[in-house]
Parts: sequence; C-alpha cells; structure tokens
Amino acid sequence: MAPHPSARQSLGSRGNIRSFILPHRYARSSFEYEQARVTAIIPTYKPENLTVKLVEDLVEWNPTLRIIVVDDCTPEEYIASALFIRMGSVSDRVTVLRTPVNKMKAAALNYALAYIFANEEVPDVILSLDDDIVVAPSTVRNLVVELMSYQHLGAVCSQCRVLNKNNNMLTRLQGLEYVGFNATRLADEGFYRGPLVMHGMLTAFRVAALKEVQGFADGHLIEDYEITTRLKDLGWSVKLALNAPAWTVVPDTFSKLWRQRARWSYGGITVITKTKYFSSVLQDLIGHSVFFATVGMIALMALFRGDDRIPIEIARLVIALSFLQLLLWYSFQLWLMRLYKEKDARDWIIRISMVPEFIYTNILTLVVVGSYFFLTFNVLTRRLRRSGNVVARRCVAIGAVVFSFCGYMESWGTRGN
Amino acid sequence: MLNFNGGTTISGTSLTPLGMYAGYLLLHSGNFWLAVSFLALTCAYLLIVLTTLCRYVINYRRNKPAFAVK
Repeated sequence: MAPHPSARQSLGSRGNIRSFILPHRYARSSFEYEQARVTAIIPTYKPENLTVKLVEDLVEWNPTLRIIVVDDCTPEEYIASALFIRMGSVSDRVTVLRTPVNKMKAAALNYALAYIFANEEVPDVILSLDDDIVVAPSTVRNLVVELMSYQHLGAVCSQCRVLNKNNNMLTRLQGLEYVGFNATRLADEGFYRGPLVMHGMLTAFRVAALKEVQGFADGHLIEDYEITTRLKDLGWSVKLALNAPAWTVVPDTFSKLWRQRARWSYGGITVITKTKYFSSVLQDLIGHSVFFATVGMIALMALFRGDDRIPIEIARLVIALSFLQLLLWYSFQLWLMRLYKEKDARDWIIRISMVPEFIYTNILTLVVVGSYFFLTFNVLTRRLRRSGNVVARRCVAIGAVVFSFCGYMESWGTRGN
Repeated sequence: MLNFNGGTTISGTSLTPLGMYAGYLLLHSGNFWLAVSFLALTCAYLLIVLTTLCRYVINYRRNKPAFAVK
C-alpha cells in the first residue's frame, strides 16, 4: 500500500522549498493503540541480562505485543543459551528463532520478517529493536499511536538517550550529542520527507511500507539509514516520536567509538551514492557539500595567492558571520539542556566550557575525512582488484587491511563463532 | 543543525573555527573573487543554520505536549 495520495501531492517542489522554513503539517487522525497488531523483532548475538529485561518489560507493559527474539547464531557453548530459555519462557507471546548461520543485524531482521509473513497473522506494525536498550512503559504505545495516526508515515523512531552516560567523559559527550540528534530529528519533521535516519535502536515500521521496500538490505553497514532512504524514495515520510524515549548503551572507549562512527560515516556515503532521489538524503548532502566547499575554499585561498586588494570589510564580515553562527549555536545548545533529563553538574560544565565538545566534534570530523579517503581508495582500486597484476592486487589488499584496521570496511562480514 | 552522517552534527564547533580562519586567510589571499565566494558560502551556511533553528522552533511548539511525557 502506497502512502495516501494527499500526502504525495502536498510534497510538490514549491512546498518542499517552503519546508526549509515552515515544515509540512499533516492532518492527524485519532488512533487507539489497541486497534493495532504489533510485533517486535529483537535481533541479538551473545545477549546479556539487559536483553532479558527488555523482553520482560515489553511483555509486561504491552499486553498484546508479540515479540520475536532472533538469536543470530550465538555459539552453543556461550552462556547466553540459558538467557534464550529465560526469554522464551517470559510469555507465550515471545518466540525465539535462531538463524542457521551468523547473518548480522539486517539479515536477522529479514529472517524474522520471513517468519512473520509465513507463519503468523500479519501485524499492522513491526518494531525493530536493538538488544541493549531500555524502554519506558509508554514507549511502544506512543510510538505505534504516532505512526498510525498519520497516513503518510512509513516509520517512526523513538527518542534516543544514553543509558551509560556517567561511565566516563566519552559517554558523557555522547549523551550530550544524542540530545542534539533528537533536536535535529525534530527540526527535520515535515522537512521534505522527514529526518535522515530512523535509527535501528527502536523504530516502528508500518507493515505495508516494510513490504513495499521488501525488507532490510542484508549486510549493509547501516541498514537503518538505508531503509529510511528507500522508504522516502517510495513516497513515505518518517518522523521522530518525542513521547517515546529509549535508552541505549554507547561505546565507552575511543576505539569502539571510532569504529562505530567509521561504519556510520562510510555507510552513509554508500547510501548517498545509491539513492534514487537526492531529496531522500538531502540533509547529508548539504552537510557534505558545506564541509567540502569550506575546506576547498580554504585550500584555494592558500594555494592561489593574487595581487588583488581585498576590502577588509569582506574579511570582517566573514569573521562576524562565523561568530554569529557560533553564538546562535551555543545559545541553542544551552537551551537544549532543559530537555536533557539525565544531566548533572558535570554535563553543564562540559557544555558551558565548550572545549570538550569542540575537540570531540572535530575528532569525529576526522572520521568523516577518513571515509572520504576510503571511498577514493575503493573507487581507484576497483579495476586493480580485478586485474591480473599480482603486485597491484597485493598492494590493494594491504591498503584494505590498513583501512580495516582503522575501522573502515565496505560491508558487514559475518562474525566468526 | 546539519546532520553529517559520521554522527557529527555540523555546527559551530566544526565549521566556525574554519570560517574564522578563512577570514584571516582572506586578508592575505589577494584574490578578490575567492574572497567574495567565501563570503557567499558563509552567508549560505548561516542561512542553513537559521532555517534549521526556525523549523526546530516551529516543530517544538507543535509538539510541546509530547515533551511532558517522562
């Protein structure tokens, strides 16, 4: 089922340009949670107690929710097997599946989808969840009601917050960063077809939309961004449900964080290169363009010195506008703190002082620069990989190993048991 | 702000220092048209930030009841 025709019509080009300032607003219909049949899919590999708690909470707080836990071929000897038995015995609404081989998240989700469509009464809404999250009692209900109250929506994601933000400085910075992610998603509601990514942490999909896109892309580095783009390509819109919070565990070491962001970053670039309509990845395109233009312009200025006399007003204006932008951003970040419920004095100090976040975001910008290099490497070596020249192929292989060591890879492989 | 898919949100922290550095470079570049182009780029970026904030404020007001949920 495609989105309601009125939703498609209202997204004409003129309306889109207007949505840069005035986001689209759609008619909301009333919807009762009890009207919807909902199934949650939780792919997991070597789960921990947090996953069992998640299953227990979902069962307790959502009396009609069906849950499918997909064991992505966790090794038999791993202690988690007892946890799978515990999860399966929480309720008869919980089904535990096991993939025949390790398939990674997207394929594990597809495995569950195939099971649902073949064996069960097909639900109206399917939730995809990470196995290391915590939800509030009203999270699933609010997520489903938000999705089903608008005909044009194909998916709605939860608010993302950080569960382990007090672990160390790095997790605190991510806690602050995630507040910004939620803010960005809110700003993008009604902007073209909505926020850039319906994150894999917790998103509710309309089954009709999920069927139309034919499930997730097996092996993709960031299947959540990829499926969001395909939903938008087909005319569906997406949004954030502000009243549906969920908490996740974020990387607590620099190397884990770097690898996660390298995956997001390069995965994002591959999504852009394969999208059908650039409007589906517009925010990313603008981001990359602005970055390239700025760095490129600085490089040009450094390389090509002329004899023109530059009016000092131009330089002053550039510095003043940059400063104004910083001031606006800083004020907004301070204002956002009122929405950060888990904040404490240390978070305030980090935010007010600006320095840790300045270092953090600039380091993450290096991750993005790394993925540009990786993309260039892959484009340049595509032919060499297929050539008969052993030396060339060996050099390419060494390069790939170096990038892999730095966290950059073309697609998910599979976990060795 | 702009979502830059490395997880970074392009914002004042990422690009403002670059903009300020560019302002300094402009004085010494001696290339008038490059300077004008960079001024245009800075204006465009500020416009993007302003429109994002504008959308945020509008959507925040539209969704205000949802913020009350704990």
